[in-house]
Amino acid sequence: MKKIKIAFLLFIIHFSLFTVLTGCAKKEDTIKIGVAGPMTGDQAKMGNDLKNGVELAVSEWNEKGGVLGKKIELFVEDDQHDPKLAVAVANKLSNSNVAGVIGHWNSSASIPASEVYRDRGSIPMITPASTNPQLTDRGFENVFRVCGRDDQQGKIAAEFVAKILKTKKVAIVHDKTTYGQGLADEFKKALGDAAEVVYYGVVIQGDKDFRAVLTSIKNKKPELIYFGGIYPEAGLLVKQAKELGIKAPFMSGDGTIDKEFIKIAGRDSADGTYLTFSPDPSNIPTAKTFLDKYHAKYGEHGPYSIYAYDAANLLLTGMSKAGTAEGKRLSETLHSLVYEGALGTIQFDQNGDVLKAPYIVWITKDGEFKEYWKPEE
Amino acid sequence: MFLQQLINGLTLGSVYALIALGYTMVYGILQLINFAHGEIYMIGAYMAIIVLGVLTATGLTATSLPLSILLVFVISGLFCGAYGLTMERVAYRPLRHAHRLSPLISAIGMSIFLQNYVMLSQGAVDKVFPHIIPSTGIEISGASISYLQVLILATSFILMTALHLFIKKTRLGKAMRATSQDSRMASLVGINVNNVIAVTFVIGSILAAAAGVMVAMYYGSVNFFIGYSAGIKAFTAAVLGGIGNILGAMLGGLLLGLVEGLGASYISSEYKDVFAFIILILVLIFRPAGLLGERVGEKV
Repeated sequence: MKKIKIAFLLFIIHFSLFTVLTGCAKKEDTIKIGVAGPMTGDQAKMGNDLKNGVELAVSEWNEKGGVLGKKIELFVEDDQHDPKLAVAVANKLSNSNVAGVIGHWNSSASIPASEVYRDRGSIPMITPASTNPQLTDRGFENVFRVCGRDDQQGKIAAEFVAKILKTKKVAIVHDKTTYGQGLADEFKKALGDAAEVVYYGVVIQGDKDFRAVLTSIKNKKPELIYFGGIYPEAGLLVKQAKELGIKAPFMSGDGTIDKEFIKIAGRDSADGTYLTFSPDPSNIPTAKTFLDKYHAKYGEHGPYSIYAYDAANLLLTGMSKAGTAEGKRLSETLHSLVYEGALGTIQFDQNGDVLKAPYIVWITKDGEFKEYWKPEE
Repeated sequence: MFLQQLINGLTLGSVYALIALGYTMVYGILQLINFAHGEIYMIGAYMAIIVLGVLTATGLTATSLPLSILLVFVISGLFCGAYGLTMERVAYRPLRHAHRLSPLISAIGMSIFLQNYVMLSQGAVDKVFPHIIPSTGIEISGASISYLQVLILATSFILMTALHLFIKKTRLGKAMRATSQDSRMASLVGINVNNVIAVTFVIGSILAAAAGVMVAMYYGSVNFFIGYSAGIKAFTAAVLGGIGNILGAMLGGLLLGLVEGLGASYISSEYKDVFAFIILILVLIFRPAGLLGERVGEKV
């Protein structure tokens, strides 16, 4: 009995020493910023583009002395584009007392994660890439995005198909994710009666063999195949469609516009694919300095690197304007901020969407993405 | 359209069959489900990309494509055979006389180890197979069969026939059959059981490597996680045909591929995996030993 008591006493001493010691080691003298996205897995390229963009912005701020008199520290978390993991990541970041989050990348991750950030003290989250309308339509005061929305994107795609390509028979495929299905449905809705949807089906994210779906599509003889989804599946779909002898061109959205798409599909098969995305940043004068710095440090930029950079700058500018890192006040400041970033002027509406989100149609040609068609203003 | 789906399904099925053979051969001899077998297939797929990269750098792919594809198969097979051999030595042989569950746990550990080893050494990003094989093919009454599909079907057929002849006609094959019937008795009549088991692992791994190489070419992209789903499918195929039965594994694989392909196109692509497993459940209910499996009493 005595031995147990001594052992228990030792445990108490050890335990309390441990807590005190770790308490001493932790000094709260940094501003913590979370970065969340798919850092591993098939979409890892996107997560790393996002991380690099934020890292570049933060290193610039730290060189100038940080924000609110403190250095900025980054907490990078991997959500593997899995909604369940995104919630876990959001809780982990909230526990680390981050002042704001840049991310997530996928709409299916951003939407559940945003609820965690709101409930844990209105931590502002600025997503550089999640385009699903539902994200901001719920009216959370802490949710912002610097990219456009899928209802805008789907409308431009439908207009292009109906007016420019004059396509009459369309096949629609999506990957069952919030983003993919959302985009495909917005496209279908905007298309209306302009073209007949001869096939509407799904593929499963992470699958590698889409020949069964493509054979059914081939049988329906569409003049265009629209895909709501992301580049790993889009690349394989395009590659396998060519192997099955499908001649109809592909069209997809911003989730596909990355060099990885061309690499997976193969140069010849990828040629002639239409994609909707914002205009080329290399034509925006303010983006020039960002692109030069990014290329020097990380190599070629991804489609969303610049968005991540601007999102991080926005958050930090908001913080220095608000004079605090407290969630509610920071969110309020961000709503009223007019920010001149690498992408041009960014200003949020009351839902946290950007006021101006121009989408244009791109085409894949000779292994490059080229601007192809702009809708009339 | 039906012909096209049939060919798609058969192509997929022959890949499943090749992997399933590794499961069934090991089970036949050791009554062990080698859960790390799917990872060998995944390593085979990675090896294909690496070897082809090296061959392209030396300029061989430009001069002779068939020769370089053959080299990819051979080198990938050699490496995976070595992996299989090492795996048996390290993870299973020390546990030969342990409780039946111990090697099973060891197999799961091996699977997790290999997956993470590949992820850390090769990166977590998808690797893309270089586009060197022409995507064209033969056109037969509306169905287009790509050269790759022909290659996969032919290679699988040759490998499976070779395996069947090896087991039925050679001395080593006879020793394998004897070991699977009764390993103690086999060792009493002078068969080196340890060698036979090692050979079984090597053959299974070479078949998995061939499947990996072909899938890398067929799908065009590979990651460290593909061994998991392919392993589960191939294991299902082995059980479907009757685990331990070699012809059963071939039949099970082809059947599974067909059900998946046809189900996805005629009913719904969302439920592709559901069909495969419904067939498994039905077979297990009505023929618990599998399609070709024989009902045997518990081995004592």
